[in-house]
Amino acid sequence: MALLSFLARRISQGVVIIFLVTLLIFTLLRVVPGDPVRLMAGGMAPEALIEEIAKEMGLRDPILVQFGRYMTGVVQGDFGQSFTRPASGASTGGTGFGDSSRGDRADVLTLIGDTLPMTLQLAALAVIFALIITFLIGTPAGLAPNRWPDRLAFYVSSIFVSLPNFWLGIVLALLFSVKLGWLPAIGYKGFAYTILPAIVLAIELSPVLIRNLSGSLSAVMQSPFISFGRVRGLGRRRIVYGHALRNASVPLLNLLGIQISGLLGGVLVVEFIFDYPGLGLLTINAVLQRDFPLIQGIAIITSAIFVLINIVVDLIASTIDPRLEY
Amino acid sequence: MISVPILSVRDLTVSLRSEEGGRNIVSDVSLDLAPREIVGIIGASGSGKSVLSRALVNWIDPPLEIASGSVTYKNENIFTLPPRRMRALRKEIAYVGANPQGALDPTLPVGRQIVEKIQALVPELSRADAERRVIELLAAVRIPSPASRFHEYPSQFSGGMMQRALIVDALATNPAFLVADNVTQPLDVTIAAQVMRLMRELTERFDTAVVFVSSSLPILNDSADQILVLAEGRIVERQVPERLVHSPQHPYTTQLISEIPQIWTDTAPVVPKIPRQGTPLISIKNAFRTYHVRKRGTFASYSEVRAVRDVSFDVFPGENFGIVGESGCGKSTLMRLLSRLEMPDSGSVICGGQNISRLWRADLLKFRKDFQLVLQDPFNSLPPRTPIGEIIGGPLRVHGVRSADQRRKQVLAVMEEVGLASSLFDELPLGLSAGQRQRVNVARALVLDPKVLIMDETLSALDQTEQFKLLKLFSDLQTKHGLTYIFISHDMAMVRRVCNRIAVMYLGEVVEIADNTKLFFDPGHPYTKALLSAIPTLETRRYDPEECLLDGEPPSPIDLPPGCGFASRCPKAFGRCRVETPLLMPDGPDGEAACFLVPSYPPQPVTAAAA
Repeated sequence: MALLSFLARRISQGVVIIFLVTLLIFTLLRVVPGDPVRLMAGGMAPEALIEEIAKEMGLRDPILVQFGRYMTGVVQGDFGQSFTRPASGASTGGTGFGDSSRGDRADVLTLIGDTLPMTLQLAALAVIFALIITFLIGTPAGLAPNRWPDRLAFYVSSIFVSLPNFWLGIVLALLFSVKLGWLPAIGYKGFAYTILPAIVLAIELSPVLIRNLSGSLSAVMQSPFISFGRVRGLGRRRIVYGHALRNASVPLLNLLGIQISGLLGGVLVVEFIFDYPGLGLLTINAVLQRDFPLIQGIAIITSAIFVLINIVVDLIASTIDPRLEY
Repeated sequence: MISVPILSVRDLTVSLRSEEGGRNIVSDVSLDLAPREIVGIIGASGSGKSVLSRALVNWIDPPLEIASGSVTYKNENIFTLPPRRMRALRKEIAYVGANPQGALDPTLPVGRQIVEKIQALVPELSRADAERRVIELLAAVRIPSPASRFHEYPSQFSGGMMQRALIVDALATNPAFLVADNVTQPLDVTIAAQVMRLMRELTERFDTAVVFVSSSLPILNDSADQILVLAEGRIVERQVPERLVHSPQHPYTTQLISEIPQIWTDTAPVVPKIPRQGTPLISIKNAFRTYHVRKRGTFASYSEVRAVRDVSFDVFPGENFGIVGESGCGKSTLMRLLSRLEMPDSGSVICGGQNISRLWRADLLKFRKDFQLVLQDPFNSLPPRTPIGEIIGGPLRVHGVRSADQRRKQVLAVMEEVGLASSLFDELPLGLSAGQRQRVNVARALVLDPKVLIMDETLSALDQTEQFKLLKLFSDLQTKHGLTYIFISHDMAMVRRVCNRIAVMYLGEVVEIADNTKLFFDPGHPYTKALLSAIPTLETRRYDPEECLLDGEPPSPIDLPPGCGFASRCPKAFGRCRVETPLLMPDGPDGEAACFLVPSYPPQPVTAAAA
């Protein structure tokens, strides 16, 4: 019952958030420079034709009218069709505008549905790698504040945080694919193609997580119940793994919720570098082509994912620490 | 009686290592603990008793270190044991401390953590057996519905229950001896008395020897076979309790005994009745305050915490008015209403003829100047990075004293009055003792030359010696400035010493208001009797704990039962108490009590009885 009311409250809050995000994206897209029709029709198309197409597509109506029309579709599960992509294949771009191809443009949902699982796979692997790095480096650091493991963690996270992801991506691709030939890098033909980009993302994620874990772990190790645990006869391993890490993981989890939201920025760059056919690559192309419906669709789906992730994070956090209200 | 001691301590010295070199906290302590014996160790705060009790269970962490000496258990010095063997010994060596709330992992159920300890130390016991044993023990320490409490988290236990759970934790592995360090210190008096009674019973039942460390001689006096007096880390005297109290040998012991507050003796302080005339300075009328707290795990339903219910009383100029009660009785909420940190939901607080709920801006500032508050916690109530002079001068700035010279002059004057050296003006409060910090707090309130000081547990954090000094200071200030004090406290002995009139609160209501002598010698309410029976004192008690002491804890202010709030714990409750709420009725010329047993209480109306 408690769980249901929690879910009801958080999901209704989430719907409001998603609505606001959509409204914002929708308005901004139409306010900032860059006419999608000009890109669709090509630079040489006459002004009159462009106006005609734009009117036909409803792009000259007031923004709120356009938004209302769009949301009516969204509520019914219709996210519209891409401006530029045919249902059959690659993006057409602006050069070959022809009436024939406009009839069968790709559904936004289909486009997202094809790429989203790829990105989720990449993000999940990145988070797993990041957590492994975090626990391997952060735990000893938290247990030995101001001694060498702590300093090591500090150096490692300083280095990680200073590495630009586009540079790191290229270097790792050079090293592991070109020189050593251990891992494939460009495109996607199987799970192995996810590993390199995931490592790059993990290295981007981990510095903050390491600092957070070692900080909260060393704070928890100062709590009375830790030193009293020794007097009660608990072994060191039990105290550290059974109690200290358990308590320290709550702030880590909350941070992870925020960090995953920040992951999108990294995904954009990393997918572009590795030509990984995920949501990030789709987003970049959609933005470059002013593909309004696609950008809006991606915004809705990603904000829905963030809302879900944060609900899940809060749920897990409150199972670990019952004092947290959900 | 010749018996081999379980534990023998020889020439134990513990020192604090710092950059300037070592300082001994505990010096040359030797003691023996016979099987089933209870040894009491008494000392003031700072006497090294906590360090000593930790050393007895080999729990000394840097910067403290064992400088010399030994603690021998089963023919081995536990300081030299390798960690693995020491850990195994934890089964036989148990410890209960003064901080029950912090002692267990807040994220796991209490029962599960005790089981975890049993399994770590007695691996041969199965999990189911361990759980059964924990539930049995929880029942033995009178935790209600132990089987469901087993699955609850530390934050769901009250302080008293948590302390009992930790006693279970300590006794769960049948230890040979138990070190109890100030276990009753954080607890309310009636709960502390319950816990003490319980510890005595359990140690007898489980054949456990106990080292009982406390700063309160009355508590040790009731239970120990032998008492050691610790002063500045050294044992200065050891005696059986009666001899210690009646013929103390060491001057320190004499002083310690002289500081124990007197309640009913001929030498007890007499606080005169102050003629109540003119208009009251503060008049609180039918005040209610309810907090709305969202129910855990619901969408939009709220619980009502009824913190203050229908409280009315007057405080007259020059009076020392006491408000006493145990934690959760609503006395802090009442303080917040009196100081207009919050406003009552209904009813009014009238100070100096004005309803303070209606005051705004300039008028409110004027009110604040006259009614100042001194808080409980000497450590958190002072900003750590502000110089003392600036802390005390802060209120002056708020109240419009622009000139820095003028402020400095006034601050130095008030610092001298409260006994702070003027050299402290530019110092930070970091190095100050608790007593000095409370003086800063008093100075900060006094600098505005107020009419009323509200003392919310101001002396609770101080030891007896400091309390004496500050109370002397308060009375000097009162003579000089004509102050009126309101003391909010749980400490009956302190209230006995200074308050002319005392209000006793229980579950948000005032259950009795009476003059000092009347309240302590002839209380009208059974709850007041219970409080009096639980005061730690060496005197023959006027009120026998066996008769008056309560079982259980106050009900939650969320689900108030109908009728008298005290009925569920009252030894004298009868039918009427469970249906009708008693009102304050005159009980003799000097007091009022809210109990149907007060002689002047009108009999139950016939109609209500018929219904």
